[in-house]
Amino acid sequence: MADQAPGVRIDGLTVVYKTPAGELPAVRGISLTLEPGTITGIVGESGSGKSTLALSLLNAVQPPGRIAAGSVEIDGLGDVVGFAGEQLRKARGAHIGYVFQAAQNSLNPLKTVGKQLLDLGRSHGVADLRGLVREARELLGRMGLDGARVLDSHQHELSGGMRQRVGIMLALVLNAHLVVLDEPTTALDMITQANILKIVREVHAERGLTTLVITHDIGVVAEVADRLAVMYGGRLVEQGPTREVLGSPRHPYTRGLIRAIPRLVGDIDEARALPGRPPTLVTVPKEGCVFRERCELRMDVCDTVDPSVVADGSRIVACHAVTVKEHAS
Amino acid sequence: MSDTLIPETGMSTSATMRRNFWLGVWRVMKRKPSRMAGVVIIVGFAFMGVFGPMFFPDHLPDNPNAITQPPSWAHWFGTDPQGRDVVALVITGSRYVLLSAAVTALITVVFGTSLGLFSGFKRGRWDTVLMRITDMKLTIPGLPLLLVLATVWKFGSPIQMGLVLGLLGWGGVARAVRAQTLSLRERGFIEAARGLGLSTKHIISKELLPSMAPYIAMNMLIAVTGAVYAQVGLFFLGVLPYESDNWGVMLNLAVFQAGAMITTNALGYLLAPLLAILLLTLGIVLVVDAMDEIFNPRLREE
Amino acid sequence: MINGTGITKTFKQRGNVLGRREVPALRGVDFEIGKGGSASFIGESGCGKTTLGRIIAGLETYDSGEIEIDGTPMSPLKLKHRQPHFRKIQMIHQDPYSALNPTRTIYQTLQAPLALRAGQTGRSKGWIDERAAEVLSLVGLDPGTVLSRYPHQLSGGMRQRVVIARALTVDPEMLVADEAVSMIDVSLRLGILALLKDLRERLGVSVLFITHDVATARYIGGDGELYVIYRGQVVERGPVDTIIANPVHPYTQSLLSAIPVLHGLELPGEEPVVPLESLTENQSESGCLFAARCPFRGDGCTDERPLLRVTEGVPQEHACYYPQRRSVIARPMSEV
Repeated sequence: MADQAPGVRIDGLTVVYKTPAGELPAVRGISLTLEPGTITGIVGESGSGKSTLALSLLNAVQPPGRIAAGSVEIDGLGDVVGFAGEQLRKARGAHIGYVFQAAQNSLNPLKTVGKQLLDLGRSHGVADLRGLVREARELLGRMGLDGARVLDSHQHELSGGMRQRVGIMLALVLNAHLVVLDEPTTALDMITQANILKIVREVHAERGLTTLVITHDIGVVAEVADRLAVMYGGRLVEQGPTREVLGSPRHPYTRGLIRAIPRLVGDIDEARALPGRPPTLVTVPKEGCVFRERCELRMDVCDTVDPSVVADGSRIVACHAVTVKEHAS
Repeated sequence: MSDTLIPETGMSTSATMRRNFWLGVWRVMKRKPSRMAGVVIIVGFAFMGVFGPMFFPDHLPDNPNAITQPPSWAHWFGTDPQGRDVVALVITGSRYVLLSAAVTALITVVFGTSLGLFSGFKRGRWDTVLMRITDMKLTIPGLPLLLVLATVWKFGSPIQMGLVLGLLGWGGVARAVRAQTLSLRERGFIEAARGLGLSTKHIISKELLPSMAPYIAMNMLIAVTGAVYAQVGLFFLGVLPYESDNWGVMLNLAVFQAGAMITTNALGYLLAPLLAILLLTLGIVLVVDAMDEIFNPRLREE
Repeated sequence: MINGTGITKTFKQRGNVLGRREVPALRGVDFEIGKGGSASFIGESGCGKTTLGRIIAGLETYDSGEIEIDGTPMSPLKLKHRQPHFRKIQMIHQDPYSALNPTRTIYQTLQAPLALRAGQTGRSKGWIDERAAEVLSLVGLDPGTVLSRYPHQLSGGMRQRVVIARALTVDPEMLVADEAVSMIDVSLRLGILALLKDLRERLGVSVLFITHDVATARYIGGDGELYVIYRGQVVERGPVDTIIANPVHPYTQSLLSAIPVLHGLELPGEEPVVPLESLTENQSESGCLFAARCPFRGDGCTDERPLLRVTEGVPQEHACYYPQRRSVIARPMSEV
């Protein structure tokens, strides 16, 4: 069992959902590598498939959804797509820690945090429960909380930011080295958000983790992630080192998204809304580029041909217009 | 072709709205064959209650030569100890049962809903007083009270019976509707309606009630079954005089007079009213399943 | 258009057997929003900004102080007579999903308040239909396709536009937008903000913007007043642009420091301010409310509460004994 950060290779992953209109892909042909010891941020709007992608890492896509194709290779574990039953349950928690969306509300309101911690330990067959509690107290202390007090508290006695930290503790306490955070700061205040992001960064470095952060907020990714991947309509449209992608975005969606955020300095009227609206499972185009309806660089080829993923050094983009421009220059 | 023009311009008149609603209901019903079966059963029972007794004379002909017969081609469920056809008895007895059940359901729902709405919407002192009364009412045990009432009242008319059962049954609905009202009134659209200056009448009838409609409709249907059980039970226990035709009277006679527990001859006499109750309950359960989809536009229009 | 002086509000929470716990939500707040102007309230959740917004929209009562709408004081009036005044101020809720009745079509939603007005002014049914289409066009929706829809058939952004259209049916003088874009997809948010800005410019509607994101407040109107609220007290007040450029209260500075930096596009501020601890329920009531969390706390901070005032060399009002400009916000790399 690897006691260091594992690498993850997602290859050609497609997840479909059964609807009255047939099986529709929520995630389509995605390949993404999480290098060991890095923080990767996935940015996307509602319906982009980002949460589905995160669930696939645990092979936890619930019916009516299912993983239709592709593989998710995790170092020291193998391809989790083939896992089932007990094997899968053990992998979750012990290898992969998951902090759920709205972790603020995912605690059991009837049990103290400590009791839930013990439940978690027992279900994973932890022999040394005292050690587990000690570890939890240390982790909470590390995140600036009074561990003993928090373990004795019920959910309603904790603030939103404290609950989020408890969520992170529960994801890490079994010594998982791959951590997925789904919308870690939604519904938190700016100051609390900054605090949580700082904790994520520090804990990541200290414990030697591979971290995946899923969010709709480009600012969150900008603060914590080494690499940034942008999802739209179930496709990965752009990825690369965070600073490079933010500094010189190539895909028109990434560019539009960054321009749509009002900033504190500079000409405020430079902020522009993206026209149209994000597609849903049903309205996403079956062929051609998924973004073309809202794209300012749309060409004829976009209607029929899905742009292929083109790598240029550490930058990866899926856009016809970008490819054409590069060939020209 | 003004009909097709109206929805296109978006100026839907209430008539087209209503038509769309019933089209939606039809769609929902068609979705599952079980629902259609439920509707058929309920319509069948309604038909039986309204028109059934008209096909039979006021006093069913008795036949001293054919007392307590087992089922045969002439008498599908056999005959009773007076030689009367059991099927005819079920049909003539249905009017009392169904009419009183309908009255009960109506009173339960109208009374319970208005009280719950009022209490939840007004809150404060009114709420406290009304809910204390409701709680007190909920603590009154129904059956003993009915037994006491039966000593002074004969329940000869189904309306009387429905009235009493209804007045005993509204407590649960009132509490539930109040709880729903309390949670709905915190929703943005109710607050917005108040901010826009819309009348309380509008808010209650147009904004609150439709959101609770599936709930109220379900309660109403379930109240029907409850009322059927209650009155049939009363008659079966024999605490009420046998003055009226009723399934409960049949059950009582089947057990205590025809000896259904001892002889197989009276089995049909015992089973027929039981089957009728079972079938009615089944029909209601099957239809209740559709209520959510009927009153929720998202599920209805899909 | 509307102004308030010394508004206080205390919520009584159910406490233990010994009695109720009183939670002060607002401690004597003054505000003023002119006709066609804009104002923004910012602060952490629980600071009282939403309560104040709801009081301004007439959805909540206040304990003491006075609110005047177009010069008419509200507290002498009975509830019934207050309502027509507050109707000029319409609330845009945060959640466009619960703000529309799921059982009613958009037409029905708009028709109800319009019918009420038509009844009062003796206008025809044709006017209702016309006006319904008109308000939808105002918010950038196509009446032909939207009117007959149910809310669930619209996206979050479209719903929020319908909510704004519904508010416009009563010809309001002011809109109160409480975190109006936080539940909407990022790429659509700016569209809603642009709409509010546009309504302000075209119809002269005042906009009160309640948010935790200062940058969005700036988009609605850089000239508008910014109120930084902390535990029910306004701790800094002045034009949005002035405060963003030169915040002097350590709380304002911590709020601004917490805004994520788009590394690669921006450089972080040089003197970010991080509060010493997080906001808890039982923080001290004596002296400056922020003292317990303040990294720059000095003599006298815990003795007497500083009040909002103007001091020499600081253009905006503030409530700090040691006002000091600090460079806390990120700067675009292009400007460096």
